[in-house]
Amino acid sequence: MTDDVNTGAASVMAPPRSEVGVIGWMRANLFSTWYNALMTVVSFVVVVWFLWFGLTWVFGDAEWGVIGTLGGQFIIGQYNTETACPGQNCFWRPQVGLLLATLILGMVWGVAGGGTAKRVALAVAVVAAALALIPYSFDRMGMDVRVLLVANIPAMFAGLALTRYTPLNQVRHIAILGVISFLVTLFLLRGIEGLPGMTPVSVLHWGGLMLNILLAVAGIVLSLPIGIALALGRRSQLPVVKLLCVVFIEIFRGVPLITLLFMSQVLVPLAFPEDFPQNSLFRAAVVITLFSSAYMAENIRGGLQALHPGQAEAAKALGLSGWQITFLISLPQAIRNVIPAIVGQFIALFKDTSLVYIIGMLDVVEIGRAFIQGNPEYLRYAKELFIFLAIVFWIFTYGMSYVSRRVEDHLRVGVR
Amino acid sequence: MAQMTGLLTYQGIPVWRHARILRWVTQIVSGFLAVVLVLWFFLNIGSAIQDRNIPYGFSFLDREYQTPIGHHFLPYESSDSFLYALGVAATNTVVVSIIGVILATALGIVIGVGRLSGNWIISKLALAYVEFFRNVPLLVQLFFWFYIFLALPPERDGYVFFDGLYVNNAGVSLPWPVPSDLTMGLVWLAVVLIGVLAGVIVHRILLKRETMTGKASYPLVYGVITVIAVGAVTWIVLMIAGGESPFVISQPAPQGTFARVAGGFTAPAGLLALLIGLVMYTASFIAEIVRAGITSVGKGQTEAARALGLSNLSALRHVTFPQALRVIIPPLISQFLNLTKNSSLAGAIGYSDLTNVAKTMTQTAPAVSIFVLIMLSYLAMSLAYSLAGNLYNRYVRITGA
Repeated sequence: MTDDVNTGAASVMAPPRSEVGVIGWMRANLFSTWYNALMTVVSFVVVVWFLWFGLTWVFGDAEWGVIGTLGGQFIIGQYNTETACPGQNCFWRPQVGLLLATLILGMVWGVAGGGTAKRVALAVAVVAAALALIPYSFDRMGMDVRVLLVANIPAMFAGLALTRYTPLNQVRHIAILGVISFLVTLFLLRGIEGLPGMTPVSVLHWGGLMLNILLAVAGIVLSLPIGIALALGRRSQLPVVKLLCVVFIEIFRGVPLITLLFMSQVLVPLAFPEDFPQNSLFRAAVVITLFSSAYMAENIRGGLQALHPGQAEAAKALGLSGWQITFLISLPQAIRNVIPAIVGQFIALFKDTSLVYIIGMLDVVEIGRAFIQGNPEYLRYAKELFIFLAIVFWIFTYGMSYVSRRVEDHLRVGVR
Repeated sequence: MAQMTGLLTYQGIPVWRHARILRWVTQIVSGFLAVVLVLWFFLNIGSAIQDRNIPYGFSFLDREYQTPIGHHFLPYESSDSFLYALGVAATNTVVVSIIGVILATALGIVIGVGRLSGNWIISKLALAYVEFFRNVPLLVQLFFWFYIFLALPPERDGYVFFDGLYVNNAGVSLPWPVPSDLTMGLVWLAVVLIGVLAGVIVHRILLKRETMTGKASYPLVYGVITVIAVGAVTWIVLMIAGGESPFVISQPAPQGTFARVAGGFTAPAGLLALLIGLVMYTASFIAEIVRAGITSVGKGQTEAARALGLSNLSALRHVTFPQALRVIIPPLISQFLNLTKNSSLAGAIGYSDLTNVAKTMTQTAPAVSIFVLIMLSYLAMSLAYSLAGNLYNRYVRITGA
C-alpha cells in the first residue's frame, strides 16, 4: 500500500521565467490584457511627453526670477519693511520664533526617541538653515540674519540635549514649553512700546508664510479641544446643551469660511465699543478656529459613534464615573480611530489660512497675487509663481499626512 | 411640617453631587450663558447701528441695486432690485455648483477607479493626481488657472478654433442655441422635459419586464428613443406652427473696432478658472471616496461576478459599484456641499458669485441683513443637496433579501 505514496521530496520546478522577475512583474502589472497593454502604452507616452515638456519648461522657458524678486516677503510678508518696522531691522523677531520652534522639535525628537520625529526635526532645521544660503533678497537682511537662520540646527540639538540631560523629558513638558514659546513668539512679533529694538509692529503687517503658520498652529491647538467639547455636547443627554451644540456646529458648517471671515470683519467691530482695540488677525484666528472646530466635532462624533457601547458599559461596571469613562475609555479610542479624519481637518485648516486675503491680510498667496496684480509686466510669470506656492503648500500638507500615517502605524489602528 | 423636617434632615446624596440636580443646573447655566452671549452681541450691534446711523432692516431689497454684475446666467439690468440681484448672484452659484458637481463626480469616479486599476502606471498616475490636487489650497489652484487665462492674447488677436470657438483673455466663446421666440423655446423645453419623464417611465417598465420574464427588452434603447421621438415631433410641430425652428444657433463673431467677440455663449475667464479649479480639486476628494467605497465591497463579490462570466467592467458596473454606492453617497454629498461652499472663492478671481455680490452689496446695504440672507441661501442649497442625496440613498440602499 505504501508504494502509492511518494515519500521523497517533491521535485519542485522553477516557475517559468515569464512569470517571475521584471518580465513577470510587467506581465502582471502592465500587460495583463490587451486593453491594459494599450492603456500602459498610451499613459507611458503621456507621462514621457509630460515629463519632457515639464522639465524643459522648468529648466528652460520658465522664469523663476519672480520668486527671487519677492524673496523674504514670502516668509514674513511686509513685517520687516520700513513702514512696518521703521528705523531698525526687525527680522530677528520672527527668527527667534523659528528658533524656539526648532528647539521644541528637537525636544520632540528626544522624547519620541528618533523615528519620524527625528526626520521631521532634522528636515525643518536643515531647510531653515538652507534658507540662509539662498542668494535672494531678504528685505534689509544682513549677515546676522543668515547666521540666525543657520542657528536653527544648534537650536534643534539644544532641544535634544534638554531632554537627554535635564529632567524636561515628558510629553507634558513639551506641551507646556510649546505653548509658552508660541506666546513668547506672539509677544516678540507684536513688540512692546518703549523698549529698544522692540518697536510695536501692527498685526496688519504680519504676513507671508509666517502668518499662515501662526494661524494654523493656533487653529490646530485650539480647535481640537473645542471640537471635542462640541462633539461631547452633541452626544449629551441634556437637551439644552445638545441643541446649542447642534446649532453652533450646523451654522459654522453651513456657511463658507470666506463668508464668515468677511462678515466677522463687518459685524464684530459693531458688537464692541468704538474705542475697543480691534485686531483683524485675532478675529481671523477666532473665526478659523471656530469654523474648524465645528468640522472637528463631527469627525470626533463619528469616532465616538463607531465605539462599541460595551466599552462604556464595561467601564461603568468597573465603577468608573461618567467623566472617567469619557476621558479614559471613550475619547482615547474614538480619537485614535479617527486620526486620519482629524489630520485631514488640520490640513484643510492649513489650506484655509490662505483665505485671510478677504480681510486684507497678506498671507503667502496674497503676497504673490498682489504683486502680480500691481505689476502687470509680471503677468506672464504668474504660472511660475503659483506653481511655486502650490509646491510650498504641498510640502507642508503632505508632510502632515505623512506624519499622521506614521502615527497611525505606531498606534496600530485596525490591527487589534 | 413633617415634610419640612424631612427636607432639613435630608441624608441622601449631597445636592452638588446629585445627578438630576446637576443636569438641570448645567442646562440652565449653559442655556442662560448662550442666550446672554447672543443677546449681548445683537444688542450691541443694534445700538451701534443706531449710534452710528448705519442702515438696517430689509427694506433695501426693493431698491434699485444700481451696480453691474460681471457675469450672469439670468437677464440682469442695473435698474433691477437688490432682491433680484441677489437671486441672479445665487443663480450663478447654483449653476456653477451643479456643473461642478457633475464634472467633479465623473472625473472623481474615473480617478478613483484608476487608483484601483491593476495597471501599475494608471494607478500611480491616479495616486499622484490625488496627492497633488487635494494637498494644494483651492485658492492657489484658482489663481493658477485664472492667470493662465489672463495671460492669453486679448480678444482682437485671440485664438479661433473650428471657426466658432474663440479663446482669449476674456474667456471662451462658443456657438450656442438661442430660442428664436421665447414662448416657443420654453414650450419646446417643457415638452422635452415631459419626454424625459416618459423615457424614464418606459425604461422602468421595460426593465421590470426584463427582470421578471428574462426576455431581452432593451430598456435603455427604448427609453432614449422615447425622449428623442418626443423632442423631434414637438420640434417639427412647432416649426410648422410658428414658421421657424424653436432654436437657432448663435455664432460668436468679433465686432466693432476692438474686435470684441459677441454672440454665442461666452464663459468669462473667471467662470472657467472657477470651474476647472473646483472640479479638479473636488475630484481628488471624490476619487478617494470612490476608492474607499469600492474597497469596502468584499473581494468575493468581484470574484463571484468574474466566475459567473462577467467581464471586469461589467462586474464593476453591475456588481461592485451598486454595492459601493451605499458607502460612497453620504461622504459624496458632503463633497457636493463643500464644492458649493468653495465656489465662494469666486470673488478672488473676479467672478460674481453669491458671496462676491453680497460683499459688494454691503457697501450700500445693511451688512447684518445681507449676512442673514446669504446664510439662509447657503443653508437652502445645503438642504437641497442633502434631500436629493438622501432620496437617492434610499433608492440604492439594501432593500431586504
